[in-house]
Amino acid sequence: MALQLNLLHEEISQQRQRQRDPLKLGLMGLGAIGAILFLYYGWNAYQTLQIKHQLNVVEGEWAKVEPKVTAAHNRADELHKIIDGTKVLDGIIDNRFYWAPLLATLSRCVAPNVQLISLDGGVADENSSVSFNLEGIAAAHEPRGAAEDFRQLLAEQLAKNYTEVKVEFRNLEDLDTVVNLAGVANASARFVLGVSFNPTAPKPTPAPRAPAAAKPAAKPQIKK
Amino acid sequence: MTLAKLNKDQIQKILLSALGFVALMYCYFNFFLDPLDRSRADMTQKIVDLQGKTASSKTEMKKTANLETQAKAATARYKALKATTQEGAPIAWFPPKMRNFFASQNIDKANTQLESSRPFKQQELSDWVKNSWSIELPQADYDTLGHAIAELENSEPLLAVQKISIHAVPENPQYQSVNLGVQIALLSR
Repeated sequence: MALQLNLLHEEISQQRQRQRDPLKLGLMGLGAIGAILFLYYGWNAYQTLQIKHQLNVVEGEWAKVEPKVTAAHNRADELHKIIDGTKVLDGIIDNRFYWAPLLATLSRCVAPNVQLISLDGGVADENSSVSFNLEGIAAAHEPRGAAEDFRQLLAEQLAKNYTEVKVEFRNLEDLDTVVNLAGVANASARFVLGVSFNPTAPKPTPAPRAPAAAKPAAKPQIKK
Repeated sequence: MTLAKLNKDQIQKILLSALGFVALMYCYFNFFLDPLDRSRADMTQKIVDLQGKTASSKTEMKKTANLETQAKAATARYKALKATTQEGAPIAWFPPKMRNFFASQNIDKANTQLESSRPFKQQELSDWVKNSWSIELPQADYDTLGHAIAELENSEPLLAVQKISIHAVPENPQYQSVNLGVQIALLSR
């Protein structure tokens, strides 16, 4: 076997030493990991860019829709206000008390021997009741009776259209004045009536049942 | 290569490399990856929000369109009610309107005065005011007055007679002097 002399022993061992240098190996490892991390970052950045693009598209869509939505929202608010306002106004209109029918009823109740001097009245705040005072003069053989007839007739007529009707004398006094009615001298009386009622119309009373129609009549039996 | 074979210089280098690695990781996660992740999460959330908003806005626009068709009658009625209020201050146009109205009903000398003007209690009528007027009719025949009040109540839907006072005129018994307290809803301009 031939003898081999390694004259570069020291150089070779130094070279091996350099190749095994931990700093160099560590730097290489770091470089490899750095490259992997850089790639991972790049992948993430790419995904982020894609999301940003998607966001831009969605923002563009929203920018187109937003003015329309705001306008629609405002219009909806306006419409709700109109609907609610109309409902309330309709309620006010429906709950009004109409004086013309009352004046017509009153004029129908005044007999030729009764003269009205004044009418003062009003509607309560929530249209819950109407009250007024009527002042007048009744002339007849029995003037107090004529005034009472007028009171009763008025109460009866008002009860046809309103509820909780009250017609009461506040004052009734005989007068010394003699009134000439159709050539006949009559005594007179001055009266003041206090009238109050609820303006809601009375509920219609149900029509009475016809017993014959409901139940067939039994046949009469002739006793022999 | 075992740790025992490493000399002092090499151990120092390994420690230095390990420190560098930790520093690199720290910088990478804290200054690069985290902000990127955060911005991505923010953008994703924004996209979800905007998509939700867009979807709900489409529904809302549909609802408004439906409401528009449903509210046609109410809109027309509201417009008609609004038209009962004329332009300008009510004190300028309401008394002449009443004077002309009663003149057309054969009742002369109608004198109208504003008593009060208040807002409505109802929230829905924030644009409206409640005006109280006193209308004085010094000479009116009872029958004519009845017809005039009926016509007034029918032609002015937002007007309500609240008080009425009828007194016979002593020197002319066939006539009455009348005072009407009316309340009317007017659009506040």
